[in-house]
Amino acid sequence: MNVIAVLPAYEEAPRIESVIRGILPYIPIVLVIDDGSKDETSVKAQAAGALVLRHRVNRGQGAALKTGTLAALSMGADIIVHMDSDGQHDPSNLPNLLAPILNGQADIVFGSRFLGIASEGMPKTRRLLLHLARKFINGYLLGIPRDITDSQSGLRAFRAVAAKDIDFRQDRMAHCSEILRLVTRSPWRWKEVPTKIRYTKETLAKSQTSADRVLEILWQLFMGAFR
Amino acid sequence: MLIQIFLLLILLAAMIMTRKRTKQRALSRLEGYGWMLVWLLAAALVIKPDISTWFARTLGVGRGVDLVVYTAIIILLILVFRLHVAHEQLERQLTELVRKEALQTVPEPVSAPTADQSSEREAA
Repeated sequence: MNVIAVLPAYEEAPRIESVIRGILPYIPIVLVIDDGSKDETSVKAQAAGALVLRHRVNRGQGAALKTGTLAALSMGADIIVHMDSDGQHDPSNLPNLLAPILNGQADIVFGSRFLGIASEGMPKTRRLLLHLARKFINGYLLGIPRDITDSQSGLRAFRAVAAKDIDFRQDRMAHCSEILRLVTRSPWRWKEVPTKIRYTKETLAKSQTSADRVLEILWQLFMGAFR
Repeated sequence: MLIQIFLLLILLAAMIMTRKRTKQRALSRLEGYGWMLVWLLAAALVIKPDISTWFARTLGVGRGVDLVVYTAIIILLILVFRLHVAHEQLERQLTELVRKEALQTVPEPVSAPTADQSSEREAA
């Protein structure tokens, strides 16, 4: 099985090397999409042993994931893994994430922060926000089934045929919700597995405040409807 | 009144700009006429505000000025929305362009067993 990890990265130079080195023992090919970073992200990623593609202009996490997914498909990947590049996804989760696909139980697997394994350092506001998002926004606004426990997880794995079929178009943050909606409405078999996330001061400082994030995602999905 | 002269001067400037842009073909002829009509109507309203009052009464709005404000807000909202959609489309095209460029350097997997097959596919 040819597994390729796709990591969109924007200005992650200080962290990206250790993140890639952590993944390589589990997945031998790491493909980093440098999303127009002005820092050393590309150089550091290459030094750590990743293959690097570059967006010349910053286009957002969703856009970079899409580019990486297309590249991985053309490289002949059998399984494509989406991961964040800031180190919040513990690479020791990867065997669990891949298992359902390797066993033939699922075509698409999502990592969930809310299936039993406690995440380190998740702020209370973030937990509450994700909970409310699940209860109200998912069901009523986005059309995502409520048995999805984590609608904003960036850790997922696809069989190549499924990745080819799930055509997500949201360039920025809204791609998480969009992918879930597409997947849960498709005939592909999907599954959620528990994952552990590490929230550190750095990852939290980089992400937006929770309320901003929700409004932005909703707005992007709304505008996406008129495309 | 002073406000009338002021508004008329602005409208005159708008008309001159419209004519200039139409001549430069930045605006199509139809668009040029359309905008000219808008400016002329606005000028008519400025010179004789009673027209709007009469029109407002027939529609059931209290004052002519109110009608003008309501209409203006609606038109502005529509324009803003159209701009937004056009902007989103531009963003998407830019993404496509940036992606195309990035994908030109797709690396061959070094140790992957299917590397040969994929290069064969590209060659074919």
